[in-house]
Amino acid sequence: MTKCLRWLLTAAMILITAAGCASTPKEKTPLVVFAAGSLIQPFDALEAAFEKAHPDVDVLNEYHGSIQVMRHATELHEEIDVVATADDALIPLLMYDRSDPATGKPYAAWALRFATNRLGIAYTERSRYADEVTSENIWEILTRPDVRVGIADPRFDASGYRAMMVFTLAQGKQAPADLFDQMFMGQFRYPVMLVGDGSGGTLIHIPEILETKKDAHVVIRGASIQLIALLESGDLDYAFEYESVIEQHGLKLAALPPELNLGEAGMDDVYGQATVKLDFQRFASVKPEFRGEQIGYGITVPANAPHPEAAVEFIAFLLGPEGRQIMESYSHPIFEQVTADHWDQVPAKLQPLVTAAP
Amino acid sequence: MKFSPFWVFSWMAGGLVLLFIGLPLANTLLSTPLENLAATLSDAEVGRSMLYTFGGAGLATLLAVVGGVPLAYLLARTEFPGKRVVEAVVDLPVVIPHTAAGVALLLVFGRQGTLGKLFQPLGIHFTDDLNGIVVAMMFVSIPYLVNASRESFRMVDAEMERVAMIDGASPWQAFWLVTLPQAWRGVLGGMLMMWARGISEFGAVVILAYHPKVVPVLIFERFQGYGLDSAQPVAVILIVVVLVVFSLLRTVLLRPEKP
Repeated sequence: MTKCLRWLLTAAMILITAAGCASTPKEKTPLVVFAAGSLIQPFDALEAAFEKAHPDVDVLNEYHGSIQVMRHATELHEEIDVVATADDALIPLLMYDRSDPATGKPYAAWALRFATNRLGIAYTERSRYADEVTSENIWEILTRPDVRVGIADPRFDASGYRAMMVFTLAQGKQAPADLFDQMFMGQFRYPVMLVGDGSGGTLIHIPEILETKKDAHVVIRGASIQLIALLESGDLDYAFEYESVIEQHGLKLAALPPELNLGEAGMDDVYGQATVKLDFQRFASVKPEFRGEQIGYGITVPANAPHPEAAVEFIAFLLGPEGRQIMESYSHPIFEQVTADHWDQVPAKLQPLVTAAP
Repeated sequence: MKFSPFWVFSWMAGGLVLLFIGLPLANTLLSTPLENLAATLSDAEVGRSMLYTFGGAGLATLLAVVGGVPLAYLLARTEFPGKRVVEAVVDLPVVIPHTAAGVALLLVFGRQGTLGKLFQPLGIHFTDDLNGIVVAMMFVSIPYLVNASRESFRMVDAEMERVAMIDGASPWQAFWLVTLPQAWRGVLGGMLMMWARGISEFGAVVILAYHPKVVPVLIFERFQGYGLDSAQPVAVILIVVVLVVFSLLRTVLLRPEKP
């Protein structure tokens, strides 16, 4: 017994020493990338390709719902090199206006709008009524009480508030005029409310506490990617996801028409009919409000990034031929012309790759 | 105790461990602004979440006793082929990552899972339901009950049970009147450990039942969504309640008998 213990102690000492030695030689630059959950697959591939091209950099990807990605930078004060979100409007909203207490500077000064996406409804062969689905009856199927529909939490994930917008945009056109109420009435402990916005559009109020009731047919998760597993296990019948994600996972897609999928250029007048407002009284210093517009993915380097040069290198790689090819292969193409908000603030190396936003 | 470098080393090393456990807890408790704490105390969601957490873990423990205690007794008293395998199976939930446990449970208790389908006609659901919380907590914490009970049954002299049975007691009577009065502290200790482990479970619960939110899920969500200021008071309340409840229970129920 004592012999055994002594042996174990020795082994532990050797391991500790070895670990100490192993970490000293050849330090790699850690590049911390926080990205929206819908970018998991292409960004993992991007990580591998970038590290191959830059063996001295170790890319550390972390994925969350888009709003949470922001909050990791601005509220939890984590040191992040690259921030990529599924809604480029979040960068001005949550990063320009807030200053890092350590430096006194805003968390970000510029943002690139690099890709779009389309919102769609994912399902599988096992989903209830899967064999009946058409683009006409999908809304009616979603409101059936025995059908479980997954939506990302609109408080944390862009795909969540976008899905809510889609319901109001569809009602009265592709769907009955009371679609929103049919879908969400009585589902939450504190109701999600739909009112007029005063100019012919609709305004959705999301309460501070969003919790579904027992046996609700609407299922909420923190990020849309968390719904995929539930869809695959059969616990969800339908889920609102981005088309790129649906294709990456080989799920069935009930495609939404251009006026609903939030992915077409030049339709912002239509999309802008829906607004989502987050009613946070206690926690957040900003009360975010989102007006419908074409989906734009945004990327930036926070002002307090510990490795800004490697971060710029990473974004240049994403916008270069190899990055474009990777994104394309994951059904998530990069814009022909990437635009920049505050172009004059964009790092010099990236400026030639982008044009100033109109 | 004679003064020797050995004891100095032991006290110093042990002290470091205590500091390692105590410091984060004490820091969390002391660095929370009182007004945040007051607001959180009156937060209905936190109260409800507490109820689900402590109640769910309690329910899981009570249900587990029905099968766990007999299993522990079998493992303590009998030899059978494959006993080692059974003991390893009992320990499995401790060893596997709890997120993996959650996935495994989802595949069995989910709406399309074997047991999920079986219970559905009875109106019993597991995903996003208290039932799911109970199942997830039970899965990850039952080893504590079985192992503690088994050890305490082992401490009871099997000879005394045999003597009781020679005197005409049935196996039931021998268990209730001879074994349990001597082993109950160990069983109860195991139940407390299981309850505590259930309360603290996050990984398996969050996969099977994100809603209704147990406190660990609520803390995670508030930390992720709103930052430290809103997560910390919830954590403090949980830490305080757990400390009070468990120190009380330990002193009242598990006080060693005076010789």
